[in-house]
Amino acid sequence: MSASFLLPALVLLCVLGALRARLDVYSAFVRGAKEGLLTLVGMAPYLAAILTAVALLRETGALMRLEGLLAPLLAAMGLPGEAAPVVILRPLSGSAALAAVSDVLSTAGADSRAGRLCCVISGASETVFFTGSLYLGTAGVTRSRYAVPVALLSYLAGVIAAAGLV
Amino acid sequence: MNAIFCVMLLLGVIGAAATGRVEEAQQALLCGGSEAVTLCVNLAGAYAFFGGLLGVLRESGMETALAAALRRPVQRLFRFELGEERALGDICVNLAANMLGMGGAATPAGLAAMRTMAQAGCREGRASHAMILFLVINTTSVQLLPTTMIALRAQAGARDPADIVLPTLIATAVSTLCGIVLCRLCAGWTDRRARERRRGG
Repeated sequence: MSASFLLPALVLLCVLGALRARLDVYSAFVRGAKEGLLTLVGMAPYLAAILTAVALLRETGALMRLEGLLAPLLAAMGLPGEAAPVVILRPLSGSAALAAVSDVLSTAGADSRAGRLCCVISGASETVFFTGSLYLGTAGVTRSRYAVPVALLSYLAGVIAAAGLV
Repeated sequence: MNAIFCVMLLLGVIGAAATGRVEEAQQALLCGGSEAVTLCVNLAGAYAFFGGLLGVLRESGMETALAAALRRPVQRLFRFELGEERALGDICVNLAANMLGMGGAATPAGLAAMRTMAQAGCREGRASHAMILFLVINTTSVQLLPTTMIALRAQAGARDPADIVLPTLIATAVSTLCGIVLCRLCAGWTDRRARERRRGG
């Protein structure tokens, strides 16, 4: 079944809901769009750094070797070797994972299993280490107890579920 | 992240030298960044669209309504210690904003919730069960629409960019549920051990 109806349907619901709330839809949209673009601009330098490093690893053959090295481990979870950089980078940094997914989409194809799988993994998870250190640091926590192992195990459960679904 | 970035660069450069692919390495270093710029330009339209849609959603009160709806289930899910229940409002705002993909609104509420709980239940920098559960739910992602991935797939030329929505939702539900169950198990286990130690000592 095609999922193309999803976004148009969402727009319909949003606009109808906003009109019921007597909202200036145009201004609200423009304000939100500005925020979205600013997010992207903020991300650009990080993307540049990681995509440069990924390109270097890819062109010199190191990425292939890493994928080969991790392939048996990933295969045990039902994942192709191409997913290795995404699975590793996702808990560390959102923009790094985005760069890695983008690399997989352009090399393996957007509709390949590896491409779709990386999108699902990335979309279904968060930056465990970044969020963790931010939240724990703000609360002045020095003993996080079982928080990090549980967060990482849950991430792996999501990855395995994604492999079973795609 | 610094360590990872340095390892990536060093591995690449040393690998290039070892296999005699120095020219490819130079090419990659000079063009890798332009891939990022192209990516950003191609993503800009979709980011503006999703940002705009979220703006409409937020200003029509969707976030507040969702936060109010979450109040009861969240209260039942978290076993607050005395004083920690004051963080309930911020927790609901954080989860609602995260579900809608509004990271900018989610983080301040999430940090406020953590601080409130730390003041109430945190002894000598030790995270309470409620704090850990809240953190784990946040790190397993509760976003309902993977907007960035849809945008990325659209610019990469996918036939149906939104066809990953359903598997993504199921995968994120699996990871969040797994996090909640594991938190419960660990909380019960550590409490039991603490009780036994008190009785024994």
